[in-house]
Amino acid sequence: MIVEIGHFALVLALCAALAQTIVPSLGARLGDPVLMGVGQSAALTQLALVTIAFAALVNAHLTSDFSVLNVAENSHSAVPTIYKISGIWGNHEGSMLLWLLILAIFGGLVALFGRSLPRALRANALAVQGLIGVAFLLFILLTSNPFERLDPAPFEGRDLNPVLQDPGLAVHPPMLYLGYVGFSIVYSFAAAALIEGRIDAAWARFVRPFALVAWSLLTLGIAAGSFWAYYTLGWGGFWFWDPVENASLMPWLAGTAFVHSVAVMEKRDALKVWTIFLAILAFSFSLLGTFLVRSGVLTSVHAFANDPRRGVFILAILAFFILGSFALFAWRAPVLKQGGLFAPVSREGALVLNNLLLTTACATVFFGTLYPLALEELTGEKITVGAPFFNATCGLLLLAAASVMPIGFSLAWKRGDLLGVIQRLTAAIAAGAVAAGAGAAWLRGGSIVAAIMAGVAIFVIVGSLIEVVVRAWRPGLAPGLALRRAFGLPLSFWGAALAHFGVGLTLLGLAGVGFGAETITTLHKGAPVEVGPYSVTLDSIGDRVGPNYRETVAAMTVRSGATVVAMIEPARRQFAARQMATTQAGLATIHFGQIYVSIADPTPDGDVPARLYWKPLVTLIWFGGATMALGGALSLADRRLRFGVAARARAGAVVAAAE
Amino acid sequence: MTRRSRRLVLIAVALAVIGAAGGIALYALRDNIVFFYSPSEVAEKAVEPGARLRVGGLVKAGSVVKSQDQNVAFVVTDGAHDLKVAYQGLLPDLFREGQGVVAEGVLAAPGELRAETILAKHDERYMPREVVDALKKQGRWQEGEASAK
Amino acid sequence: MFWFIMAGMAAFAALAAIWPVLRSSPPSRDADPATSEPAFYTAQLDEIQRDVERGLLPQGEAASARAEAARRLISARSEAPKPALPPRARWRLAAAALIAVGVPVVALPLYAYLGRPQMPDEPLASRPPPSLASSNIEAAVAGVEAHLIAKPDDGKGWAVIAPVYMRLERYEDAARAYSEALRLLGEDGARRAAYGEALVAAAGGVVTDKAREAFMKALADEPGLPQARFYLALAAEQDGEKDDAIRDYESLIADASPDARWVDAVKKRLASLKGEPPPQADPEASAAAPEAQQAMIEGMVSRLANRLASNGGSVDEWERLIRAYTVLHEADKAKAALADARKALAPDQNAVASLDALAHDLGLGDAN
Repeated sequence: MIVEIGHFALVLALCAALAQTIVPSLGARLGDPVLMGVGQSAALTQLALVTIAFAALVNAHLTSDFSVLNVAENSHSAVPTIYKISGIWGNHEGSMLLWLLILAIFGGLVALFGRSLPRALRANALAVQGLIGVAFLLFILLTSNPFERLDPAPFEGRDLNPVLQDPGLAVHPPMLYLGYVGFSIVYSFAAAALIEGRIDAAWARFVRPFALVAWSLLTLGIAAGSFWAYYTLGWGGFWFWDPVENASLMPWLAGTAFVHSVAVMEKRDALKVWTIFLAILAFSFSLLGTFLVRSGVLTSVHAFANDPRRGVFILAILAFFILGSFALFAWRAPVLKQGGLFAPVSREGALVLNNLLLTTACATVFFGTLYPLALEELTGEKITVGAPFFNATCGLLLLAAASVMPIGFSLAWKRGDLLGVIQRLTAAIAAGAVAAGAGAAWLRGGSIVAAIMAGVAIFVIVGSLIEVVVRAWRPGLAPGLALRRAFGLPLSFWGAALAHFGVGLTLLGLAGVGFGAETITTLHKGAPVEVGPYSVTLDSIGDRVGPNYRETVAAMTVRSGATVVAMIEPARRQFAARQMATTQAGLATIHFGQIYVSIADPTPDGDVPARLYWKPLVTLIWFGGATMALGGALSLADRRLRFGVAARARAGAVVAAAE
Repeated sequence: MTRRSRRLVLIAVALAVIGAAGGIALYALRDNIVFFYSPSEVAEKAVEPGARLRVGGLVKAGSVVKSQDQNVAFVVTDGAHDLKVAYQGLLPDLFREGQGVVAEGVLAAPGELRAETILAKHDERYMPREVVDALKKQGRWQEGEASAK
Repeated sequence: MFWFIMAGMAAFAALAAIWPVLRSSPPSRDADPATSEPAFYTAQLDEIQRDVERGLLPQGEAASARAEAARRLISARSEAPKPALPPRARWRLAAAALIAVGVPVVALPLYAYLGRPQMPDEPLASRPPPSLASSNIEAAVAGVEAHLIAKPDDGKGWAVIAPVYMRLERYEDAARAYSEALRLLGEDGARRAAYGEALVAAAGGVVTDKAREAFMKALADEPGLPQARFYLALAAEQDGEKDDAIRDYESLIADASPDARWVDAVKKRLASLKGEPPPQADPEASAAAPEAQQAMIEGMVSRLANRLASNGGSVDEWERLIRAYTVLHEADKAKAALADARKALAPDQNAVASLDALAHDLGLGDAN
């Protein structure tokens, strides 16, 4: 009965979402605070109902209730508990329900914490949020229902694909979804501002934390996905410019631009229309990403040949929310009051440049991802736009953005002193130039891209550090006082500095790839093979038995000169039940680099065909991602940003009077 | 600066960046588009040696020859035509005779591809979509054949 | 009980959603915090002051920042808030009524349409454990499967379950089980042939290259194995090498011991291949000798046909059926299946194109 209660709760959630859409927007029109207040109660009701539904599905998975089709198709009684849970979102229906749950959670947060917002704005935003909920609830209930039943129930489930039985994939989708869906709030508020025809700094201040949460989690989600691909796919690649990856990169780029432009709006009351545009863009790409991952937007109609309704439904949702919001934008944006002015050389000017580069980069990814699909649809010609295209366009633009980043970060608001900033950054520029020169000399004649990247990375890293020092310390200041001043700096500043530092780290990791080494060979027992500055020796081959697989393990020793640095055990795993083999790469982290060995099945005479890599600094790619996310979280912790509660805390009297 | 001239500066910079990006994109696109063909299409279109392509089909049974230093040669077929493929490196876990495969590389001679990347199907139920389409065109696609071991 | 809970949930949802309306019986005029914009700038001024006190903002910058915030504060204050319309109780009542009536009116029929209210949960723990003694074959299979997951190297287990899969029409699973059994228990001609048969069944009666390989291997291991020879002959027939097929069938009949139960099936096959009327089999013998292989294939095909007719299926399944009919020389049925497939898959352009290509290949005539 729990299953059916969950199902019914989902149906009721649809009613709550409808109420959340209709009543508050009516209230906003009539100016009735009570009707507007229904937005909050309906949003919280929806949250409670969706939570019940999700809990019911979790329960069905945990108890292996195979009378639920979703459980029977994606679980198995023998699967470990963690994969019973991650199996919930390892499939289309369950992942859509998770998406909806996150949507409802964000709606609930607005309802709970939006007290300091203008009532009409909050009512309209909740109404838009409710409308997104209605669309997804209808989609889930009518085409992707996770509560579909099987009668009679089979005795065993079909099992979760072994490839999905990995801790990396257990956490990656929820984080990505939290990121995607977080932008829905930004979108709803943008639409509400357009409906109302007014937007101000308070809007920016309220929306920014949501954008930061979404952005930080999206960053982590992308980094986790990239790391997973790196260690499981067996050839050390971490980014493939695959449509599915691009789908997550596009909202990230738009979201990064938004996080920056909303800062301009908050501080300087400028770039209003542009910020609204980015808000719509970020969520539009999130929707696109959600559906690309599961189906492929343009191919969705074919991919679901058995259920064309689903593909059509997806296209309808995309068209409604993307085209609808842009139509609203075109119609209402001119009504918004123009913002303040600023000089081209200023923090604002630099942020405009940043936005320009990021959105253009986003556009190139969009083009490269969808062009092949569109071409196939139109002409039937099948093409692939590969990594070189994206490297030459998006990569180049992002590198350009990174190389002006420290300068922009050091410029003052309103009117900046470019010369002064460059003087301030002299040390960073010099360090970057030295790094690039040394890199180029080391690579001697090879591609200098890696050397340039290393130079930019060092420039960014040193530049962020200099900015912190300059803010806290002036010549003649005692170190103790400087330290105190450093701690007194606003957390949002620390967050920005840390995030920029993280960009530098990631860039350094990417540059490191160019300095790596790769050897494809057959290893003989006891004969060392050189890879980069290290040598790898095959010691022995053995068999091991795991819970549901058998593996052949090749034990190897990594040496630097004569000293042993690490022992690694790359393996081949055979999943007998599914007749699948996977490669477990042998990884040894040395400083920030890694030795990466993947093997093929040993030959009968005990030799092991292997691919060996030395990847210097490669771990910095993900450390950098995590650092960026941490920077976002730190900004979030800034009291001033906390859901507008801060304004009340500090200027208590004023707001209290206003309430 | 006046409001007007500031706006002009902004627009000029924006146009410059977008123009440059567009130019690079078109340039990069010219060099980096890779067409997907089935072996029959390679034969029919008389693709010139030196062209970059992706070829998808089934690995012909009994055609895989492994030699020194992980050099591998095999034949990709769509039933109607065959294409020889040479590759150096570790083959993907799911590479098997009779199974779907996508090879990307440069056509070394007519009917011979020097592959740089080999993709095999992802799991039992999945076959690269392009391969399925190509095989369907040839009338060779059968679910049973694809998923039986 | 169940409907009681449902009603409770619906009532709770409706009440929770209209809570603000219920609570606010006297239409109160709360001050609208739309005035928060001035509040925001006031806070910003305070913040500037605080930064100055901490020495984070130089005086010059602070002065200009303060001037700007103050300017915006004034402009925000001068924008008089819109006078709110007097709230009208009528609208509130209408909204409350809409929700109170709308929730059950939408939710109950929709749930009745989608849900299975009478169906209880069936968590695994509460179900009778599947035992081998149970008459339920599916339960028995589940038991063996569970055992094989725990011990995937038990070749005998795979060998036991393979024919059961065959009988359950899980041909792909059967093929996998046979191949596991072969891998673990070593080569065995009869088992290799059974593996081939499973492959043929999985491919809808078509002897695939892989199956052919299996039969060859089986023959190498155990020469003369009739099952393998039969399928190889069938393969020749499917490849259009009629003469080879006839020769193989004939030699198969010649080698067979006269009382072999499958000879009649082969004879019939041979006759249809030669275009002769089916041999007038000794009625007694034909009753006693089920045409094992032929019957198996035909049974498979008819089951597939029934399933597709009642439940529909993917384009691949339809194509498999059409192919199978062609292989069985049932051109009329193949054409009928083709027409049905076109009808069933009509909205999918790709599927129809694929069907057309197939029809063309098999010489079934082009579209319509």
